[in-house]
This record gives sequence, structure tokens and C-alpha cells, in this order.
Amino acid sequence: MLIQFLLIAAVLLLLVFFLRNHGTSRARASVKIGFVLFLAFGVVAVLYPDTVTRLAQSVGVGRGTDLVLYGLVVAFAFAMINTYLRFREWELRQARLARALALRDAEPPSAIAAQD
Amino acid sequence: MVNNADVWLIIPVYNEATVIGDVVREVLRTFPNVVCVDDGSKDGSSSQIRAAGAHLVRHPINLGQGGALQTGIEYARNQPGSQYFVTFDADGQHQVEDVVGMVDRLRTEPLDIIVGTRFHGDTSHIPLAKRLVLRTVVALSPRLRRLHLTDAHNGLRAFNRQVAEQMEIRLSGMGHASEIVEMIDAHKWRVAEEPVTIVYTEYSMAKGQSLINGVNILFDTALKTGTRR
Repeated sequence: MLIQFLLIAAVLLLLVFFLRNHGTSRARASVKIGFVLFLAFGVVAVLYPDTVTRLAQSVGVGRGTDLVLYGLVVAFAFAMINTYLRFREWELRQARLARALALRDAEPPSAIAAQD
Repeated sequence: MVNNADVWLIIPVYNEATVIGDVVREVLRTFPNVVCVDDGSKDGSSSQIRAAGAHLVRHPINLGQGGALQTGIEYARNQPGSQYFVTFDADGQHQVEDVVGMVDRLRTEPLDIIVGTRFHGDTSHIPLAKRLVLRTVVALSPRLRRLHLTDAHNGLRAFNRQVAEQMEIRLSGMGHASEIVEMIDAHKWRVAEEPVTIVYTEYSMAKGQSLINGVNILFDTALKTGTRR
């Protein structure tokens, strides 16, 4: 079925794209464009369910609802990966901040002896 | 006898109050420079480290072992006269004699980094499950085979100043072992293994990382991206 090919291709392409371009302005812009398209698609799906059904049938899916669901799964997976990567980046920054503080307040043994 | 003033031992510490004092005192008898990185312990590890006479660097929050190692390396490489660096576990499973051997080799042989390996001679003291997992890791990694490394997850490593300056561990958790192997490859550090003895005490067994944690390591390593520096 066409839809299987489309979905798998979409997942793979997006995965490669995000892992390679993560953190660049290009990736950030793509996420925003993707989000707008996603919203627009949602509005269309609500207003013209028949169009979605026809679109679904043209790619080999029975109902428009199913097509929307499949699209949602892919979109959700991407939101997750994006969040995970962003979180990791934030973690690294946090680690560097904590490290800078720790190194600033390091206690050599002589300083401790003086305190005693 | 060398006085080892140019050698720094880096010990990441997380909740090891019961053993860290003894470990530090033992190490200090041979190596005068020890830096302990207290990774946000909640059990008074810090006061034990202070009392034992090591340099103490305290993370304000828990970062994980990789993060603690990087902090210790940065501290040690900024100390005047530091030439050789050794990462050492806090739970007492590593032997000071092994460190002496590794540092001697760094001084005399054309090597940048020496990694400890438990796989030599009779390995029956290593718990079976651990042996299987560590062996599988090696079998699945072409890089480890190419570099002739048999025990990538050994915490005992000794390296020179060049390696210390280039070292940048980004994975804060336990994924740093594979990350270090990647760095060995990328920076073309001259690497060798040194057979070392790991003492599996009840304490270290209870503290040691569980095998299920391997899943986390795999995941973190697989999704590692070129995060902008």
C-alpha cells in the first residue's frame, strides 16, 4: 500500500533530518512550518471530512479518520524526539554551569586544614 | 623512587561515605594528588573526603558519573605541574598497584591513554552475567575490536596531558565509557590495555551499575547528535 511507504519514508526522512540539523535555525524553522501545516491540515480535516477521506483513499487508507490518526502518530513521534534532543542539550548546559560553580568553589586540602 | 607529584587521581564520588575515606587514604600513600568530585551526595561523603585530605570539588546538583569525571579532569589539568591523570572508582574495587603500573607505562612507552581490562588470565571472579554483557558489547562493536579493547567499561584509565586537554565528556550519565572510546578513535590517541584486578566486594556489587542500565547507555549513545558547542 502506498500509505505504508509514505509513512515509513516520512519517519526515516524526518529522523535523519532532525538528528543532522538539530539546533540549527533551519531545523527550528522547519519545526514551525511543520506545526503550521499540521494545524492547517487539522482545520481542513474538520471542515471538509470528505476531502480527507478522498485523500485517504487515494493513498490506500479506508477512512479519512485513519489517515489523520496515522499522521498524528508520526507528528507525535517527532514532537517526542525534538523534546528529547532539546532536553539533552539543556542538560549539557546545566552540567557546564554546575561544573563552573563546582570548580570555582573547589577546596584544596590546605584550605580545609586552615578551616579546622 | 618517583614522587608522583605530576600524577593526579580523579575519583567521582556519589554517596560513598562508608568507603571513600579509606579509599582516599590508601591512594594518598602513593599518590599525593587526589581530587574527589562529590556529585551531589546526600550522605556526608564530602566530610569524609575533607577529613581524608583530598582536593574536593562539589557539584551543586547530581550530574552523573560522566559529568563528575569531566569536572575532575578539568580541575586536575588546571593544577600546575599535572602531567598524568588517572580515573579511579570510589568504591574500592581498583588497586593502587595497578595505577602505579599504568603510570609507569605512560612515562616510558609511547602511549597517550591506558585503559584497564579485567579480561586476562582467569576471569572466573567476574560475575557471569557481567562477563557475558561486557563480552557482548565488545563483540558488537567494530571500533572496540579495531582498537583491540576488551573492556570498554572499566573505570580505571590513565592518560597524559594531551588527552586530558582534549577530553570532553558530554554524556553526563553512564554513557561516557563508549564516548571515551569514540574520542580515542577520533583524536587518534595511542591506546593500550593494562590487565588490572577488580575486587568485587559485596559493597561494590551492590553499588555497581545494573545491567539493565545498558539499555539507557545504548539509547543515549544512539541518539547522540552533533549538539552545537
